[in-house]
Amino acid sequence: MITAFIVFTIAAIGTYAIRLSGVFLLGGDRELPPRVRKALSLVAPAAMAAIVANSLLLNEGEWRAFGAWHLAALVAVGVALWKRSMGWTLATGVVAFAALLLAGL
Amino acid sequence: MTPDPADAAGGPDQQPEPAAPPRKPSAPDKAFARIGHSQWRDFWTGTKAIAPLMPGSVVFGLAVGALINLAGWPAWLGPYASATVSAGASQIAIVDALTQGAPAIIAIVTALVINARLALYSASLAPVFAAFPTRWKLLLAYLMTDQSAAVSVITADKWPDPVRRRWFIFGVSGPFTAVWILGTAAGAILGPVIPAEWQIGFIVPLMFIAVLVPALRTLPAVAATGISIAVVLLLKDLPYGLNVLAGALAGIGLASFMPDRADAVAGTAPGSPEEVAE
Repeated sequence: MITAFIVFTIAAIGTYAIRLSGVFLLGGDRELPPRVRKALSLVAPAAMAAIVANSLLLNEGEWRAFGAWHLAALVAVGVALWKRSMGWTLATGVVAFAALLLAGL
Repeated sequence: MTPDPADAAGGPDQQPEPAAPPRKPSAPDKAFARIGHSQWRDFWTGTKAIAPLMPGSVVFGLAVGALINLAGWPAWLGPYASATVSAGASQIAIVDALTQGAPAIIAIVTALVINARLALYSASLAPVFAAFPTRWKLLLAYLMTDQSAAVSVITADKWPDPVRRRWFIFGVSGPFTAVWILGTAAGAILGPVIPAEWQIGFIVPLMFIAVLVPALRTLPAVAATGISIAVVLLLKDLPYGLNVLAGALAGIGLASFMPDRADAVAGTAPGSPEEVAE
């Protein structure tokens, strides 16, 4: 238990340093070059897509067997593109996933 | 002692009066905790922008907290980890590593590699935070999560005034972290209350689809998404979740070479999708 406490604490300090890094290294008064600004605007889509791919299409580093996860995610992506709404995407994704699980997929 | 305006008007030869009637202490009428109405309104706007993600955060918190319970550790470690590390995937990795008997240093390194992507969010928020006082940067960086960083950076363009913008971002990130902590606390106390058959792990990709896809509006952003997914899958055998970091970096790096219409007009930041929340 004491090991877990120490590990969480050190990981927390390191993670806070990571969270501060970009804000303080790039956060001065100088204007960032357009290329850098453009790259930074791509951080959110690229990082989120990486998490989606890793948690949806893979499972513990192996391919996830095709099923309810993939189908419900397709429904969510479709609704997201149609409604452009976070709330609708989440709601329909949850309902679709629950329905697919209940259907035995 | 504050000089009374009446004293100043009275002239130099006025006799020193006995103590003026004490003023009523100014009541904290229009403000709560010395924070004004308009600031709370901007804070609340931020909270509403991320509110759809909160149930997902609570459910995921329940699951992560349950792992603490299953590991046989005291329940307070759940909310402690969520309030300090505050990044679910790395918290799971730490519990996994330690319960499998891995050395502490491996658990720490794995967690930090998983969290390295937060450096990318931090960089993308640098222009958004640039005008903030240092104490605000320290606070908002502490509260930064994938979800709150993405919502903040996607909606920042709508908040040209830095004071209002920082209250908005505080409203996005503070309550979201709070419900995450509460969810983990509940999970650590209650244990695995959610049946495994429900496969609530699906909430993780679903939350990120809900943030990412509605905001995909530019060609480079779509390209970054595609490249990132391809690299994550190609490098799936990398240890420590390094494929996620590699995928994100490849998507950012390669797609930033791609021209888009905004570049032709002016060198302004492209890829500023307007609406993520309703």
